[in-house]
Amino acid sequence: MNIIVLAVVFILMFILKGSLLAPYANPEFSPTVALGFILIFAFLVGKRINRLNLPQITGFILAGVFCGPYVMKFLTVEDVHNLQLLDGLALSLIALTAGGEMRLTQLKRDWKAISSILFFQTAIIIAGFIVFGLLGRSLFPFLLEKTLVQGFALSLLLGTLATATSPSTTIAVITELNARGKYTDLILSTAVVKDFVVICLFAFSLSAARAVTLPEQAFDAWFLVNILEEVGVSVLLGACIGGGIVLFLKFINRETAIFILGIAFLTYQISRSLGYHPLLICLVAGFMVENFSSRGDSLIQAIEKVSVPIYVVFFTISGATLNLEALRSTWILALVLVILRAVLKFSGTYVGAKITKQEEGIQKKSWAGFISQAGVALGMVVIIEETFPEWGGAFKALVLAFIAINQIIGPVLLQRLLVKVGEAGKKGNQENGARL
Amino acid sequence: MKAIFAFGLLILIAFLGSQFFFKRKKTYLPLSYFFFSGIVYVFLGLVLGEKGLNVLSSEVLTGLNPLISLGLGWIGFLFGFQLEFRYIRKFPRKYISLSFLQSLFLVVLVSASLFLLLKVLFPAQPDFLLYGLAVSLGLFVSLNSPSLLNFASPLIPSKGDYYHLARFLVSVSGFWGVGGMAVISSFWHYPFFEGSVVLKGLIILFASLVFPVFIGYLFHFLTLKKTSEQDLLVYLLGLVFFTSGVAAYFNLPALFVCMVLGMTYSNLTRIQDKLYPLLLSTEKPFYIIFLILIGALWDFSFDYKIAALVVLILVLRIIGYTLPLRSFEKILRFSFPLPPLFGLCFLSSGGIAIAFIVSWKLIYRLPLTDIFVSVALVATVVGELLSPWVLKETILRLSPEK
Repeated sequence: MNIIVLAVVFILMFILKGSLLAPYANPEFSPTVALGFILIFAFLVGKRINRLNLPQITGFILAGVFCGPYVMKFLTVEDVHNLQLLDGLALSLIALTAGGEMRLTQLKRDWKAISSILFFQTAIIIAGFIVFGLLGRSLFPFLLEKTLVQGFALSLLLGTLATATSPSTTIAVITELNARGKYTDLILSTAVVKDFVVICLFAFSLSAARAVTLPEQAFDAWFLVNILEEVGVSVLLGACIGGGIVLFLKFINRETAIFILGIAFLTYQISRSLGYHPLLICLVAGFMVENFSSRGDSLIQAIEKVSVPIYVVFFTISGATLNLEALRSTWILALVLVILRAVLKFSGTYVGAKITKQEEGIQKKSWAGFISQAGVALGMVVIIEETFPEWGGAFKALVLAFIAINQIIGPVLLQRLLVKVGEAGKKGNQENGARL
Repeated sequence: MKAIFAFGLLILIAFLGSQFFFKRKKTYLPLSYFFFSGIVYVFLGLVLGEKGLNVLSSEVLTGLNPLISLGLGWIGFLFGFQLEFRYIRKFPRKYISLSFLQSLFLVVLVSASLFLLLKVLFPAQPDFLLYGLAVSLGLFVSLNSPSLLNFASPLIPSKGDYYHLARFLVSVSGFWGVGGMAVISSFWHYPFFEGSVVLKGLIILFASLVFPVFIGYLFHFLTLKKTSEQDLLVYLLGLVFFTSGVAAYFNLPALFVCMVLGMTYSNLTRIQDKLYPLLLSTEKPFYIIFLILIGALWDFSFDYKIAALVVLILVLRIIGYTLPLRSFEKILRFSFPLPPLFGLCFLSSGGIAIAFIVSWKLIYRLPLTDIFVSVALVATVVGELLSPWVLKETILRLSPEK
């Protein structure tokens, strides 16, 4: 029955957005129609995709790509922009969930493995991309006519971007699968910590690239002090908000879902406007609630109660923002980079896990959990384009294509891994209620 | 960015409001109904809006358009969902007839009287505009809210015929008013007033009816199999968003369209018991956000013209609800008397009336739209302040209900 409804909703939207009815339409309300449509359409596509043993979020992303500005055009670029209002909310909820899922005891236990995998993944990927960039300079349009030093700096930027993994996608797949276990914990913790490391590395790489490609700019070493300040204040804010949530859950504990929604949204927007890291703030807040109170489960339950529609919209919109024009023009090189990144991810994970004497399965398989890419990487590309207008456009086109491929295959690989190692469904079915 | 801030702020206010203002009081204090009804949030919206702190500026409100139409859709759906035929059939048919006659009488009385006054106050405006405005205000006056009666229920220990009739009337009166609005907006469809009005009006009315019925069937098919609460929430949000969005997209009344969706689904599904708690748990925050946005949308002005229209509306409302009751009693052969005093139970217009105002404002961007909004909102506020006192006196005097 769902497939019929899916088809009917699609046909309805096709008629509504068609040229026949266009003269009678008030475009001011186009985002509202789009929002309703994607909630139903993407959710049903996610359910169908799930029957093929693929994660639902892959369905949401594909639905977004299909309905987005590059294929069916049900969602215009403006609609997508307007609906990104929900992005901050979704990301904050995801970060709160991630913090709530990280246990101090487990972090202490896995700390060596996390830091080792993180270090070797980062080092090997960046080194690999620098070597590839320098050797294959003629393949990259933005590296042509650049000096060796400039080529190095730009490859460093590309390598930093390639290191990033999407924690939001990781959490969404884990939530959908109700997964728990060693692989799940390790992948989630590493992805979350890596997000922060990548932000720091990006600031460094950007300063370096600016210094060597823009003659009027000098290398700014103060970025380190700025980063430390941002991180310190973010952690402090996160601890305060976490404390506030604990007090709320302890003394009021009513209408929790709406309270968490409000807190998540305001935290995200206020911290962003002040220049702090909303993800880190929400992560620390969730971590505080989980580890320094007995209310962790209440928090996760409250989030999961409202999170499904928000996740559907978030991942569908992220699918709609994947630039297919860029993919069409650079897909061969992007595919080569995707393969290179996967190989380097495998090598980094293998070495990192081997050195800390993790079991063989983790050494050989866990790389598959680090492929997805989304929010942070996309944000960085935009900054690069704005900072280097001369070649930033070509750089952006390639990286967007690269991210698009990773974001489509990443969730599938992670899901397969968690199912294969038997951690899917281990969380206790109705413990937390909501499932994606 | 400002829209996002505003959205977060609205969520927090909605939360705090639902914690403090919507708690049921065991004692009946007429003034506290003003807070219980949530009207105070309209003023909060006014303070946050362009005429106040400008947090909810017109740019922000445009960004929050989806929320406004979702709010309208949600109220419409909730209202329609309560109109379950199985339940309505339990009441005598004459109750439905009384409800219809009462609404019809009010619409005719208020429209005719207001048209004359509007013609005097706004002589430069074309007649068709004044007709439309007068009929819309007539429909607005015919709307009632059950929340005052719920609030007053501790005052009525033995709930007899009057109570049940009053409850029925306040629950279904919205159907006629909102339905009437659909007829008006179809035959007086903005922005195309010229051309073959009847045929076009019929087509639009047909579309306003068929589309939500169709979506209602889709919703029913989606929930035929066992559906989890999370799935149900996604379907509900998605379909209400979609339906209200499509209605707003084509300048149809989202309130009516979603009411028909709610009615259709309510009469098809067997999972009312599952859906009701979900709807009720989300109702309060949605309603508060909605009221604040309305306050922010309100281009507040008050002059002698608005004052005159409000006074006339209040007087006509009292006359319209009380005067014809004896005649209706005879025409419909009621088994118990309907004293004019009984009509004073219906002076509160509540949330459905506010939704009606917003729906009207979203459809019609006309020279007199802001006048309509100001008159209707001021009349609602005054009505919500007066009606609890009047209801208390009425209940105390209707001796069988003591």
